[in-house]
Amino acid sequence: MADGNVSRDAVVIERSFDAPPDLIWQMWTEPEHFKAWYGPDGATVPVAKMDVRVGGSRLVCMEMDTPGGPVQMWFAGEYREVVENERLVYTESASDENGNVLPPPDMGMPDGHPATTQVAVELQDLDGRTKMVMTHSGIPADSPGAAGWAMALSKLAARVEAQGIR
Amino acid sequence: MTFVIDEDRLSETFAALASSTRRAILARLAEGEANVNELAEPFDLTLPAISKHIKVLQRAGLVVRGQRAQYRPCALDPARLEEISAWAEQYRPVWEARFDQMDGYLMQLRSQRKTGEHDG
Repeated sequence: MADGNVSRDAVVIERSFDAPPDLIWQMWTEPEHFKAWYGPDGATVPVAKMDVRVGGSRLVCMEMDTPGGPVQMWFAGEYREVVENERLVYTESASDENGNVLPPPDMGMPDGHPATTQVAVELQDLDGRTKMVMTHSGIPADSPGAAGWAMALSKLAARVEAQGIR
Repeated sequence: MTFVIDEDRLSETFAALASSTRRAILARLAEGEANVNELAEPFDLTLPAISKHIKVLQRAGLVVRGQRAQYRPCALDPARLEEISAWAEQYRPVWEARFDQMDGYLMQLRSQRKTGEHDG
C-alpha cells in the first residue's frame, strides 16, 4: 500500500562517536543514560521505561516549558528489532501516561502525527569508535493506517493552496 | 540555538494536533473558511468548547481568524501545514541537538571514569 512511499517522510542522520558500540547501545537502552541526552535544550525526560526485547514496550515522557507552562508529552512504543550493540528498532506513538496510545480520530482525518513513527538505530564498530545511522521514519508500511497523517496533510495543504487562501 | 525554537514550535503544534476534534476542525477548514457556529455544527459540543479548540489551533499557528465583520471567520494557515507535512525535516535539528548532547554526555562519562570517583 504505502510501500516505498516513506522517503520524504523520514530523517536519516549518520554520526560517529568516540565510544565503542556497546556504550552507544547503552545510551539508547538504559533509562539512566537515555534520559541524560534525549531531551534537547529546554526539555527534560522525567520518565523512561524500557523493556528492551522484541515485543517489549517502552514509555517515555518529555517535559518542556512552553509559554503556557510546562507541558508533558508521553510516547509509547514497542521494540521491533533488538540485536545487541548492532541494531535497534522501535515504534513511537503519542500516548497518555499509562502508555495508552491516543485513540484514532473518529472523524475527519486519518491518524494524526502523533501517529506511529519508527526509529531505527544501526551501530557499526570502527576500531573502538562507532558509526551510528539513525532513521526516523513515518508510520511503517505494514502498520494499520499507513496512509497516514503526512499524506493527509499534504493533500490538505494542496487543497488550501489551490483555493488560494493567503 | 534555532533548534530550541523548532522544538517548542513543533511540540506546540503536535500538542494541538493531538485531538480528533481539532483535526476534524482542520479538515473542515480545508474546504473553506468558516465561523465558530459553522465549525460547531457537526459536534456535540458547546460554542465555548469549540472556541477553546480554535484558540489552541490559533496558538499553534494552524488557524488564523479574520477581522471581517462580527463573524471573524477562521481559516487554515497553510504555511504551518506545509511545515508539518514535512515533519521529518523538522525533526532533523531536534535529533542533531540530541546527538550533540549524547556526544557531550559520553565525554563527561569518560572523564568521570578517568578521574574515578573524583567529582571536581
